[in-house]
Amino acid sequence: MKLILAKIKVLSPSIRHFTLAPVSGTLPVAGAGAHVVLEIAGPGRVWKNAYSIISAPGAATYEIVVRRVEMSRGGSAWLHDHAQIGKVIEVQPPQNLFTPPRTARKHLLLSAGIGITPFLSYLHVPGLNYEWHHCGKAEDAAAFKALLPDAAHVTLHTGRNALNLAALLAAQKLDTHLSLCGPEAFMDFALATAEHAGWPAQKIHKESFGGATGGEPFTVHLRRSGHTINVGADQSLLDALEAAGLAPPCLCRGGACGECKLPVLAGVPAHHDHYLSATERAANDAIMICVSRAQTQELVLDF
Amino acid sequence: MGNKSRPIYAPFKLDVTGRAHLIVTNLAEPPLELAEGFDDITVWTVKTIGRGIPAPAAPGLRPFRAVAELLPQLAVRLAQATVGLRLYAIGSEAFIWDAFNVAITAGLDKAEIFVHHAGPLVRRVYCTHCRTMIEDVAADITPCPACGAHLFVRDHFSRRLAAFMGVIVDAEVPGEVPAAEALTS
Repeated sequence: MKLILAKIKVLSPSIRHFTLAPVSGTLPVAGAGAHVVLEIAGPGRVWKNAYSIISAPGAATYEIVVRRVEMSRGGSAWLHDHAQIGKVIEVQPPQNLFTPPRTARKHLLLSAGIGITPFLSYLHVPGLNYEWHHCGKAEDAAAFKALLPDAAHVTLHTGRNALNLAALLAAQKLDTHLSLCGPEAFMDFALATAEHAGWPAQKIHKESFGGATGGEPFTVHLRRSGHTINVGADQSLLDALEAAGLAPPCLCRGGACGECKLPVLAGVPAHHDHYLSATERAANDAIMICVSRAQTQELVLDF
Repeated sequence: MGNKSRPIYAPFKLDVTGRAHLIVTNLAEPPLELAEGFDDITVWTVKTIGRGIPAPAAPGLRPFRAVAELLPQLAVRLAQATVGLRLYAIGSEAFIWDAFNVAITAGLDKAEIFVHHAGPLVRRVYCTHCRTMIEDVAADITPCPACGAHLFVRDHFSRRLAAFMGVIVDAEVPGEVPAAEALTS
């Protein structure tokens, strides 16, 4: 669907708030935790980036908050540097892979950096019982303060070790579920801390983003379709397949949903996803193509 | 056997990913050997030394007068506990699934609860006609104390009710009740 860029608000040098309005008609309703994929046309290629919708379900517009990624694959840089009000953008209908867990009586929300966005949409859920801890760099404090509700159960932590995560996780009651969103290193630390405190995986819900940061170029052979495709340093495996005219399965484009899992026939993947278990990773016989890359110069996939 | 309602129980084992462990049983002693290397283990039993007098408590051991006292206390304990606790229920199927349901109500996930069938082969039977619960049934045919029906105790188990389904055995020829046999599972 085509959406028009209706408003741009600068929250900090690297964080902007965009409002997208329908060119005609009304927007599909996006519930708490939903995201949209923006298709941003760049020179010679299209970036498909997922952003959480922070506006209320049923609102007339979609609002998203975007950080300009330092090692940007291009999408966020374009939104920051070139996007202008009135620009029409192709947007895929919303998907939701991060709804607040239904069985939780209390939600412990833990976010870092631009991982703040999905939980902003949780604020629209009536009567949600939550405690939110957000971690950010000091230079982003003003932007995050403007986005976070001013409430006793919401805390902004800036600076290193500002939050005693081990103590926080160990103090939660049994009716609490943990929801996590943030950069990979933050997620890994939080998951390890939760595991050490005895949290079962079933009570931890997570959404990662920006996992596809690029890396060493490699070559992929697709056994079934017979293609050989080079994956460049600044593109993901999924991007490379799409650039070659293929349409592999995918949904979240952030290593979370599991939709894009493909069997690996030869070569060793470099796993960057949050979907495969440790055992599945060790088997090295499957790869999430949206974020993972290769440890070997070549990969052979069953696709 | 095509019976999918009957739970299959894994052997008892403490879950190494837990930070604290609470073992509850309707038996006087839990029939288990506790592994070394776990530092936070509490055992709740049902054991009396006279009518209404529980056996003395010891560090990590709390005997109760009756299941009827233990289960409400379990709800209280779970409401205070923090994440990292693992609950193990050992005993009759009625007891372990009652405990399971108390834990689910308290907010535990299935992954934090372990149930193990032990003790005498007795069943709680649910009269599907008058909805009466009949405790400690040891034979495959039992009269319902409320409506008087002769019930055949099926292997169909309800985890929600923590009971086996009992259906009238002589509906076609009233009074023709086969001889009851002892339950073997």
